[in-house]
Amino acid sequence: MTDPTPTPLVQFRGVRKLYGSAIAVKSLDLDIGRGEFVALMGPSGCGKTTTLRMLAGLETPTAGSITIGGKLMNDVPAHQRDTPLVWQSLALFPFLSVVENVEFGLRMRGVAAGERRSRAMMWLERMGLQGFEARRIDQLSGGQRQRVALARSLVTEPEMLLLDEPLSALDAHLVIRMQGVLTKLQRELGITFVYVTHSHSEAFAMADRVVIMGHGEIEQIGAPREIFRTPRSRFVAEFVGRNNIIAGVVAGGILSSEHGAFPIAAPDGSAEIVVAADTVTVLRAPPEAGPAVKVAFLSEEFAGTGIICYFEAADGSEFKAQVTEEQLADLQPEPGAAFWLSWDPARVHVMGG
Amino acid sequence: MIDRSGLYRLTWRLPLLLWQGAFFVVPLCFMAAMTFWLVQNYRMEPAFVWTNWQRMLGRAVFWDAYWVTLWRAALAGLIASVVAFPASYVLAFRMGEAGRRFVLLCLIVPFFTSFLVRAYAWQVILAESGPVNAVLGGVGLGPFTMLNSSFGTMVGYLTLVLPLVVIFQTWSLAAIDRALIEAAWNLGATPVKTLLRVILPAARTGLLLGAVFAFIMSFGDFVSPAYLGGSKPPTLSILIIDTTKSGQQWPRAAVVSVMMIVTLFATAAAALRLAYGRRG
Repeated sequence: MTDPTPTPLVQFRGVRKLYGSAIAVKSLDLDIGRGEFVALMGPSGCGKTTTLRMLAGLETPTAGSITIGGKLMNDVPAHQRDTPLVWQSLALFPFLSVVENVEFGLRMRGVAAGERRSRAMMWLERMGLQGFEARRIDQLSGGQRQRVALARSLVTEPEMLLLDEPLSALDAHLVIRMQGVLTKLQRELGITFVYVTHSHSEAFAMADRVVIMGHGEIEQIGAPREIFRTPRSRFVAEFVGRNNIIAGVVAGGILSSEHGAFPIAAPDGSAEIVVAADTVTVLRAPPEAGPAVKVAFLSEEFAGTGIICYFEAADGSEFKAQVTEEQLADLQPEPGAAFWLSWDPARVHVMGG
Repeated sequence: MIDRSGLYRLTWRLPLLLWQGAFFVVPLCFMAAMTFWLVQNYRMEPAFVWTNWQRMLGRAVFWDAYWVTLWRAALAGLIASVVAFPASYVLAFRMGEAGRRFVLLCLIVPFFTSFLVRAYAWQVILAESGPVNAVLGGVGLGPFTMLNSSFGTMVGYLTLVLPLVVIFQTWSLAAIDRALIEAAWNLGATPVKTLLRVILPAARTGLLLGAVFAFIMSFGDFVSPAYLGGSKPPTLSILIIDTTKSGQQWPRAAVVSVMMIVTLFATAAAALRLAYGRRG
């Protein structure tokens, strides 16, 4: 991972984008370093795609400045930038063959026919698509099209690649494979990837830094682990998921909430704490010491890393706990069965502090 | 032997087959048969002689009319496509959904009046003493003879086909995935290159169908060459009229018709191949 601070490749300063009176991006300040893999993440309508499109020149900021490599880009039209974008729909040209698609960018830049063909063929080979060059796009599988789209974007050897939810149309098993392809490619090329997604697993698996956006603003920027373990706001904690959020009032190192009183290291006043699902222990009986919330079992869900159990507290709020398969077998939870949830107070994150 | 599913399919297709047979194939066969008939004492008699074909295809008048009609209809298709394109482009890319629908509806309005009425309207407008010449005369030009010339015929053809060509083109342009246009832009294509390399190929089917429709309608049109072009030089449609009027020569007119239908079929087949065919 490159340190983004010394010479950022991209700088957003006070960038604002309105559509009529609707605010797409409120005020954005963001630096993106050379060779960095940045994920812009957030729910739909949070402004992440608009941000990406402004970087590509497909949208013009209403206010503020965007610089790439120190050069002000606000009024540079899209075709004079070298900021290729991989579309969610891939946007491959159906009337061109695979190799014609790949060499399109070179052709538009006036590269001679022989050279652009050989460079396109080199990229097709790199993407494992040799022998497919004469095919039409509709003769390719989803994964193959994905790689054609990547080759088409990378053939001009840009400093930066923009990706707009490129994996959302793929089958689940292909998504994991393509994640591997993308991270490997980014490391080998050493260029900047700006990746827009609403999927935490994609962002957390690939990115050096994750930018969480909500309502046209940045909610938090940080390494995946940092965002996951120390969310700064309720919005981030809920969006990232697998977190239990408890709100209450702290007095003398004790948080009083609807779910009981828990010891906590926080100054007096109202506070929200985050208890990650994988730090929660599920018990059949109340623990002798430490925090405990009495809950009723609702359901379980198999997630790649373990099993997420869902519970309901007395006031109807939902609690989550991550358990292993062995633990689940021991607990044998029935819907409605009573359990106690406990956790290590040291691993609790206090938000907004 | 027809199995059950074959029978089922046949049952559903039967109405269409009957309809096409009754109103298209049978009259066509009848007309083709008529080309071999004889006319004696101004009356048609069923026969099987090649005289009609020999008399029509052996005359320079027929071939002159054939090439004039073909050339003018092709020119009408080309001019209509070129003239319609800017309008279709604006409709497809610069207007909202509601505005586009309204304008397309307005484009259908001309079909509410008979084409003959519209041709007469042009006779007034383009006349030697008409408003166009009055305006041009005001700036010291003209007067121009616009009626009874190939210019007049072309004005008629365009009046007939332009709205349809705009509708065809607008539909095909509006159907282009916007991401394709943005992708071209994103990959370094200037607006002009985007138009040539992406928009035109992506809208190929609709653009070609529009031009072919203009060609087909102009090819068979009688009103424009007769009322605005002054029947000179005669087109095939005028030739048909003249042939039927002179001595009830319906069989010879049928020869012209069959030649026209064969030409249109060939053009339509070639155009469809070009429009829907895959490259490479």
